[in-house]
Amino acid sequence: MSPGALISGVSGVSGVPGVPGVAGVAGGAAAAGAASAAGAAYADERIVFDDVSKFYGEVLGVNRVRLSLPAGITGLVGPNGSGKTTLMNLMVGLLRPSRGTVRVLGMATDRPELLFRRVGYATQYDAFPPGLTGYQLIESLLRVHGYDPAQAAAMTWQALERVGMVEAAGRKVAAYSKGMRQRVKLAQAIAHRPSVLVLDEPLNGLDPMARAELIALLRELAAAGLYVVVSSHILHEVDLISDQVVMLNGGYVVAEGDIVEVRDEMDEQHPAQVLIRCDRPELLAARAFEQDHVVEARMLADRSGLLLRTRDAGRFYRMLNQVVIDQGLTVESVAPADADVEAVYQYLIDEPSGNGGRS
Amino acid sequence: MAVYERTYHRYDGPMTTPRRRFLVVPRYALAGVMRSRAFVMFYLLCFLPPFAGLIAIYLRHNLSALKLLNVPLDRLREALPIDARFFAGGLSLQGFLAFVLAVVVAPALISPDLRNNGLALYLSRPFSRAEYVAGKLSVLALLISTITWIPGILLFLLQGYLEGAGWFVAQGRVLAALFAGSWVLIVSLSLLALAVSAWVKWKPVARIVLLILFFVMNGFGRVMEMALGTWWSELLSMRVVVETVWAGLFGLALPTGMPAAAAWAALVAGSLLCLGLLLRRVRAYEVVR
Repeated sequence: MSPGALISGVSGVSGVPGVPGVAGVAGGAAAAGAASAAGAAYADERIVFDDVSKFYGEVLGVNRVRLSLPAGITGLVGPNGSGKTTLMNLMVGLLRPSRGTVRVLGMATDRPELLFRRVGYATQYDAFPPGLTGYQLIESLLRVHGYDPAQAAAMTWQALERVGMVEAAGRKVAAYSKGMRQRVKLAQAIAHRPSVLVLDEPLNGLDPMARAELIALLRELAAAGLYVVVSSHILHEVDLISDQVVMLNGGYVVAEGDIVEVRDEMDEQHPAQVLIRCDRPELLAARAFEQDHVVEARMLADRSGLLLRTRDAGRFYRMLNQVVIDQGLTVESVAPADADVEAVYQYLIDEPSGNGGRS
Repeated sequence: MAVYERTYHRYDGPMTTPRRRFLVVPRYALAGVMRSRAFVMFYLLCFLPPFAGLIAIYLRHNLSALKLLNVPLDRLREALPIDARFFAGGLSLQGFLAFVLAVVVAPALISPDLRNNGLALYLSRPFSRAEYVAGKLSVLALLISTITWIPGILLFLLQGYLEGAGWFVAQGRVLAALFAGSWVLIVSLSLLALAVSAWVKWKPVARIVLLILFFVMNGFGRVMEMALGTWWSELLSMRVVVETVWAGLFGLALPTGMPAAAAWAALVAGSLLCLGLLLRRVRAYEVVR
């Protein structure tokens, strides 16, 4: 298994440095101390869930979650009730874990005075106190944070400008369109300049243009060093924006890491699909069937290429190079057909025989 | 591996003191309440009894005005003594108006936030559930204060000024009773009204529940008291309980057989129950089972 990716059945144990009980073992006491200090410093740079479970009475929220999220954009993916919102509420301290600990950049989540200086949160709900304008909403929430009136006003305008809502600032939030509400929610989350941004379904209800703008903004924030955690049902957009993905099902983490690496881990049960457009697909098909890792090769209807399934994509690509060199095959394009979040989601969550889910 | 530039800097300038932050909550809530013309009319009406008290005190100390009205001073002093009973009576009347005010205002305070799942907005800040409740309670506290202890104390000070230092010293207890009695009402009534607002999401229903809690329980307590001949059932009546506490504070005869200590115990227990109900409901998330 590659270090960056993980597919888990139930426990979701990852080889994550800095997480107690999972850290690498050092030689002597001094080495152990140094490793421990390095691990602690490392954990201070991450959002760490250490064996976290949350139960609502007898209802499971999430169970035995071990995660270590780095900076950049992390996509949380899973069906309704899979535990995405619970995980986010645990992250921002609105829920206390029934078991385990959550630390955000080294901070315990039960210390809101410290935590919320560095964390911005936007829920999935259009939840606004009635009667307020966009400006009043953000300014009053900044005052709740403790900023003085002048500072709060300046930061409010900056946040509104960042999400492109300056012109609508004086209008009542109740009169905003869905897209404007999403943007004002984002503005209230970033207004106090947090280091961690937790956004529950921020792309819901946005038109394509607004989505593109929001995605660009999230990328910009992540590039500036923010930890952006985004949950979404819109899988191909999670795929587009995420540096890493956490997949949840029934309260369990079923996969996490870079999506391509996650996909690679699944080659045995779900052979990778590769689409090749070339001038002599029948030649390539013949060579492919000589390989034991190739499961299936299908000619495209227009006979302009092959859709091939292999248990070892690396070996296939090496073989393809060889065919090009030996036989002079002209290749127009080579693209993985199922190395995206949507395919992984389908394999792990939609298919009952998938590797993920509860057992 | 991604390389992040860390160009996004968080604010590290000065902050306001945490104890004052809850005052942000009533700012827009009060503005919202005052948008209703009917409420403003009612609120202005609440100042009529203190205004009547002001006129009474003025007349008592203005012989030329009394002569003009042809009212002998002795008769006026006999008919309307300015003492503990005068201020306790005024507080009782204002207490009823405060209840009506709470019935109108309180259901709009917490239930809209709960209905919209809006609590997470407040609670994902350095802001606790207790501060949120304090912020909402301060809306009622401010409004009720302006019609109870603030005019009451102003009238007391005016009467003391006109009557002289002797009266002021002799009636000193009334000043303390006005202030403490008003806050007993403010805290207990506000907690009850906010608890109802937190548990009953629909505003008209919340208002009906408050009216039932006040009038029906009051009547039920009275009927039980008459049937059983014991003051225990009067503990269900918020009016009797609060007026018993006030009578104790003002040093007046108790309205029923209920001891002041029992009334205090009932008020504290009821308020704690309401606070518990409030905090149970005021959470940033809702578990859907």
